[in-house]
Amino acid sequence: MEALGQFFAIYGSLVNFIGINALLALSLYLTLAAGQLSLGSAAFAAIGGYTAGILTMKCGFPFLLSVAIGSILSGLVGLVIGLPVLRLRGVFLAIATLSFGEVVRIIVLNLDITGGAQGLVGIPNLTKTWGIYLTLALAGYSIARLRRSRAGWCFESIREDETAAAAMGINTTYYKTLAFTLGALLAGLAGGLYAHLNYIITPREFGFSVAVDLLIYNIVGGVRCWYGPMLGAFLLTALPEILRGTGVAAGPVRMAANGLILLLVILFLPNGLVSVFTRPGRPQAGLPPAAVAEEV
Amino acid sequence: MDLLAQQLINGLFIGSVYGLFAVGYTLVFGVLDILNLAHAAVFTLGGLLALWLVETAGLSLWLAFPASVLACGVLGLILDRVAFAPLRQRADSNFSGLISSIAMAIIFESAALGLFGARTVRFPAHTVSVHIWRWGGISITSLQVEIVAVALLLMVGLTQFLNRARAGKAIRAVAENDRTARLLGIHVDGIIAFTFFISSALGGAAGILFGLYFDSLSPDMGRSIELKGLAVIILGGMGSIPGAIIGGLAFGLSEVLTVAITGTSNLRDAVAFTVLFAVLILRPSGIFGRRKMREA
Amino acid sequence: MRSNHCRSGVLATLFLAFILLSGQLCTGAAAAVLEAKIGLALSMTGGAAAYGATQKQGAQLAVDEINAATGAAGIKVVPVFEDDASQPQQGITVFNKFINGDKVALIIGPTLSNTAQVTDRIAQQAGMPVLAVSNTAKGITEIGDYIFRDSLTEMIVIPYTMKIAREKLGVHKVAVFYGNDDAFTKGGYDAFKKALADAHIEIVTEQTFAKGDRDFSPQLTQIKGKNPDAIVVSALVEEASGIVIQARQLGIPASIPIIGGNGFNSPALLANAGEAAEGVMMGAAWNASSILPLNKKFVEAFTAKYGHPPDQFAAQAYAGVYLACEAVKRAGSATDHKAIRKAMSEIKDLDTVLGKFSFTPERDADHTPVVQVVKGGKFAVFGE
Repeated sequence: MEALGQFFAIYGSLVNFIGINALLALSLYLTLAAGQLSLGSAAFAAIGGYTAGILTMKCGFPFLLSVAIGSILSGLVGLVIGLPVLRLRGVFLAIATLSFGEVVRIIVLNLDITGGAQGLVGIPNLTKTWGIYLTLALAGYSIARLRRSRAGWCFESIREDETAAAAMGINTTYYKTLAFTLGALLAGLAGGLYAHLNYIITPREFGFSVAVDLLIYNIVGGVRCWYGPMLGAFLLTALPEILRGTGVAAGPVRMAANGLILLLVILFLPNGLVSVFTRPGRPQAGLPPAAVAEEV
Repeated sequence: MDLLAQQLINGLFIGSVYGLFAVGYTLVFGVLDILNLAHAAVFTLGGLLALWLVETAGLSLWLAFPASVLACGVLGLILDRVAFAPLRQRADSNFSGLISSIAMAIIFESAALGLFGARTVRFPAHTVSVHIWRWGGISITSLQVEIVAVALLLMVGLTQFLNRARAGKAIRAVAENDRTARLLGIHVDGIIAFTFFISSALGGAAGILFGLYFDSLSPDMGRSIELKGLAVIILGGMGSIPGAIIGGLAFGLSEVLTVAITGTSNLRDAVAFTVLFAVLILRPSGIFGRRKMREA
Repeated sequence: MRSNHCRSGVLATLFLAFILLSGQLCTGAAAAVLEAKIGLALSMTGGAAAYGATQKQGAQLAVDEINAATGAAGIKVVPVFEDDASQPQQGITVFNKFINGDKVALIIGPTLSNTAQVTDRIAQQAGMPVLAVSNTAKGITEIGDYIFRDSLTEMIVIPYTMKIAREKLGVHKVAVFYGNDDAFTKGGYDAFKKALADAHIEIVTEQTFAKGDRDFSPQLTQIKGKNPDAIVVSALVEEASGIVIQARQLGIPASIPIIGGNGFNSPALLANAGEAAEGVMMGAAWNASSILPLNKKFVEAFTAKYGHPPDQFAAQAYAGVYLACEAVKRAGSATDHKAIRKAMSEIKDLDTVLGKFSFTPERDADHTPVVQVVKGGKFAVFGE
């Protein structure tokens, strides 16, 4: 029991970050599930985080209300951005969302109310570990439910073949925008929780590299199963500590080990870490290679 | 008037630098439809390696330049073998290739950090002789002229190579359709490896020129140009060589003119990325993109 | 199949948690001499890696010197270096490890102010003394009475510099050029702006750049068009070198001085900007050319050990380890954080490489800043 207390004293914050990163990974997963590659999740988290932080700090709103408003605003922006952007596909969509993210970051840098480069300082520390994990559990449950619903099947058919899905009478624009907006809503929620965790948020915490990290969580964890992104977020957020624990020296070596592990996962676990838990012999959810060659 | 002329020269020059970086980037994308996010890391290693050859090994720049470019070409081959070739038949090869290239970028960057240290360094003074010409209030350095010339030469040379030479035509064939190319007796894997060799060699050359001009090399120097390089190849149309150079010039000029017209520089990057966003929405195939848009 | 996945996912999570847990259960050592475990949270990777590297070198040198003289000093330093990866998230975990895992006497670091804003609150809550050796943003020592710093802030260095610029150089209108996406350079800008207003110096134009930028010519061209008496720059040395070189290349004459702050005080400016650095003026916390014996010895030992001269970050980290040691020695304990905090706050006129050093009642560094100018490829004290 004492060991557990010791563990939480040292890694309590890590446990919180894992939860937040898992929420963010799930928000990206929503768009990925509909086959859309977005690099805008970090920007949506910034919108939610800054909005919630400013409301709590400067307007004295209660914590839950601030976070809810931040999340809703982020979802609305997602809707407005999503409508024109989702006509694009693949890498083009990724770059469009990326430029959106850069613009958001630069605007935040240049505003006074956000504190510019020095960040929004002094946000009350109101987010609790149980709150994060309750949210995560609810989000995970809803997404698992969503996957079995009509919307879930539509997402999946759009991911597999958008043209065919449209031909089958699925309103692809509606479902793509739905996925994107839900993702933005969740990212904004995670951002709001994150803002109330650390006393401070700075624009750098929502930059390009964070957007890429979220994508990595999804791919490493695996996007064939709703808990894949959570698993990816868990492992990769904890990885620096695991390496520290195994005595890998700080600095370039640890960085290289990080890269190497990422490479090995992507090379040898095609469907991400979740495939480790799939018994051999079972058919994978992924497309057979032959079908893929046709698609290109 | 002098002021505006100087600003146009500034834009032309920085645009050529972006173009130089983007040429190799876009080449791989044209062939594989995959973004090689390790390109920026190869760019960094090229510059740092040439510096090491000049400073520590005591070679003249005329030897160090080709040696380092060659080494970067070999890095390209390694990249292809390790990070891309094993994924080629995968359903999500554009996702997973993106991640494996990020993994390689992390490994390369940690290598740069471990081998050359984190400090910002430069080529010894007078490695190349630099003249400064001045007319009234305008100044141009010989190195600037040389870099613009190299960028234009590369644009013309590479385009000619792709259109005329046997290997160049093979590259285009693979880019159009690798299965047909294979049926026509083209050694597809060899051509892809060759493309990576050229792309990375060009990336390395860009890194050396960049380091020579700005007198500043560091393990993270690729990061500052990575996003802009992405923007440039989108503007120019992915896969288009002239597009990369002209896209670079357009991006460089848009940056400089934002500063020149508004008189402030706060929003320089925001304007550049907004332009990119608009181009994507209005003309997704880029300014010089091929009519036929690929689903990346 | 799906539910099967999920069950094994939970198992894997528990397994990984167990790995984390088990890695943490082996600490504890006894000592005969007073053994001071000092946690150093420095940026060894990420954006501030260059600064973390030189800080580590400076700190390591101090540790070696102190341990070599253990008999005399009666204290042995056990440094625990950890990488905060230039990120608040990593910094928090490192601090928690120092506080609850390593149970260090005190913490030196972290490298970046943004990280310190978060981590130092954790230390304050835990009653763990922190000595910042490079944070210059405002609001760091205000976090609480356990937070100290030996890095003189721009708010102290800059006004002094601007006063001299106005009196000795007759500067009346300036252009301001700063990095607006970084806490340090933005803080420097705020300091400049206030100091310029106080000294009644007019600002003709304000231009910005972003961290990592290499091309500054559009902004400098704009500045050139406004004909200022001087260009005031808030930048770290990577950008500072490029700005200085390109300003001269664009034909901004050497008669228009470039004035910087702490960020300019690095041998890298001389190495990277070369001849263009001639005449660059800067306010700084550490006088590299000081002939005080302690400083001379430090510069020589550092250069001999690492093959390059130290910069201000190294000097402040070096001084930081000595300050930490002094506090532990005076407290007579490496575990009584309250006593260490008290001893630290009582340090007065201690001889360090930064000069005679005391802490202000607000626990900030208190020593005289220096205005330097680059002359003949070297830093010299302005006016000497």
